[in-house]
Amino acid sequence: MSTLRMMQQIAFHPYDFFENIQEAGRIKWSQGIVLILLVFVARMVAILLTSFIFQTREPFEISAFHEFIWIIVPWISFCISNWAVSTILNGEGKFKELLIGSAFTLVPYIFMIIPIALLSQLLSFNEKGIYSFLTITTFLWIGWLLLLGLKILHDFEIGKLIWITLITIVGILIIWFVVILMYALMNQFYNFFADIVKELRMRA
Amino acid sequence: MRRVTLNIRKLVLTSVILSLLVPMSVTAAVPYEGYVWNNLGQDVRSVNGYIYEDSIDGLDMSSGGFKNPESIFIAADDTVYLVDTGNNRIVHMDEHHQLINVFGTEGTGKLSGPKGVYVKEDGTVYVADTKNNRIVMFDSKGQFLQEFGTPTSALLGKDFSYSPSKLIVDKRDYMFVVSDGNTKGLMQIDPNGQFKGFYGANHIGFSWARLFTKLIASKEQKAQISTVNPLEFSSVDQDEEGFIYSTTLGAEFNQIKKLSPVGVDTLNAGVERKYGERFANGPFSVHSFVSISVSDSGIISALDLQTSKVFQYDILGNLLFIFGGVGEQNGLFVTPSGIAQTSDGMLYVVDKGRGRIDRFRTTPFADLVHQASNYYVDGQYEESAIIWHEVLKFSANYDLAYQAIGKSLYKEERYGEAMEYFQLARNKFDYSASFREYRKEYIREHFTWIFRGLILLVILVRVSIPRIARRIKGQIIEEGNPH
Repeated sequence: MSTLRMMQQIAFHPYDFFENIQEAGRIKWSQGIVLILLVFVARMVAILLTSFIFQTREPFEISAFHEFIWIIVPWISFCISNWAVSTILNGEGKFKELLIGSAFTLVPYIFMIIPIALLSQLLSFNEKGIYSFLTITTFLWIGWLLLLGLKILHDFEIGKLIWITLITIVGILIIWFVVILMYALMNQFYNFFADIVKELRMRA
Repeated sequence: MRRVTLNIRKLVLTSVILSLLVPMSVTAAVPYEGYVWNNLGQDVRSVNGYIYEDSIDGLDMSSGGFKNPESIFIAADDTVYLVDTGNNRIVHMDEHHQLINVFGTEGTGKLSGPKGVYVKEDGTVYVADTKNNRIVMFDSKGQFLQEFGTPTSALLGKDFSYSPSKLIVDKRDYMFVVSDGNTKGLMQIDPNGQFKGFYGANHIGFSWARLFTKLIASKEQKAQISTVNPLEFSSVDQDEEGFIYSTTLGAEFNQIKKLSPVGVDTLNAGVERKYGERFANGPFSVHSFVSISVSDSGIISALDLQTSKVFQYDILGNLLFIFGGVGEQNGLFVTPSGIAQTSDGMLYVVDKGRGRIDRFRTTPFADLVHQASNYYVDGQYEESAIIWHEVLKFSANYDLAYQAIGKSLYKEERYGEAMEYFQLARNKFDYSASFREYRKEYIREHFTWIFRGLILLVILVRVSIPRIARRIKGQIIEEGNPH
């Protein structure tokens, strides 16, 4: 099944989609990369197209690199955290399924955000409600797909699903904390040796 | 080696001689750079609005030099009244800074540490005689007329300490007095010296921390917490129409207020506006506006002691210019204490620390801005827009100009262009308003095309959606039954 057809399927038949991707050979790593790139492109296009009224940032405050980081880091850290937590707690999902499946849950964003940005060109402040309603609906849709995906992939009940999701969020925070800590320590470590080398060269 | 030193010596010598020969042009650079705070909260370069002209120190007059002067008043005829606090007197000068009179030095009208003065149109002088806890009235010749002592009222309480520092007198001869340390507002005193109530008091804002302490603190603990008082006024001025302008000490926003006759702030109605400098270094710097002056056309100049800068705002409270600063150069201040302006727009700033009055003249840029602002306030939008365009040629960072041009285009119903200017001024609210009008106009003009397009769209949707749906269904069924 082509990626496009799968995108269509997750939007309209999410149950079937998550059942299907558990079959061997159904998903490819490349699909995840393609989807995340699509999300990134959709986001950048939406930023360009959004009307001045609904733009919350100045153009100089927007960096394509940062936008990309803000998509890819939450995605990967969510998948790692969720996979780690649910593997311990008897989840059946494989890492590949989680990674690709959660990338597919962003499909509503890819489809919706550009039309919303175009629509914003026709709206004034008074119709802000329409704009925020559509945006919030998109994100709720994504959230629902994500939870549904986790439930089917891991074969969890609702209670356990909520519990695991909460732990996953804590896990994400821990991952970020550790990464930032490691970065700081590595930086110190590097600077220490750099200073030693400098000192030696000065004395030589 | 010797040759080299010799050569250097020769070089230095010739350059010294050359510099003596060539006449040096003596133009003191302005010791401050023009800037404004833009709508993004950034300090951006602008053109200076005011430039130091000269100083009056009184040393060339028979009055002698000034000592710690606290404030200044410029009457309608442009004569200058200086409160020479350290010498306990009022110095009256004409518009060319020649001495007219010195008074308040003897008899019943002998002043002690006066801090404020107000002169009515008929020349009657009211002096806030701070250390004598009274207000003294002199006639236009400087003869003692009357005094108003500490007012008594049940409202004031027993422990009320009266130290009047600034005052104005309205058309009914009511005095509005700033009393140092009083947090209840301006004191209204009638022509007979009777206290008539407080006016325009500042309010205490809501604070979560205070609510929390109130909830959990015991009675004893509560008794130990110092009571929160509203902030006190530091100075007042009055415009042509009788509106009273005040400055508040230590406030973070709405430091400048324009009070209506019933004491309601009409400058910042319902908003929290930040005046003065935007401090980046946290709560260590406190705004301290100490003096305010309003021109005939409603332009507000306020003096901030913390930064020693003068901030000028238009009648609506939009920032126009900032100048001054702390320093010893001409144009900077040691301890500025008072500000006033003549009818031709010259600003007089009293520097208490140096005992002199510094005069500042407007630059051509400031004249343009003032002119444009006057037209704009009068509702002559087209005329103002022409001048605002000139302003932008001087300083493209002037958000106010974009905003005003946008407004004038809006009034002319040129909504599309108005949108561009509102976007440049980063004003989303007005942008949206003109966008709505633009959209209305656009739909009206292109109604037939839009209507045709809609019909076409409906037909397309009616025809194509069932077709697509059928196809998808077909495919899914196909996949469901693999061959």
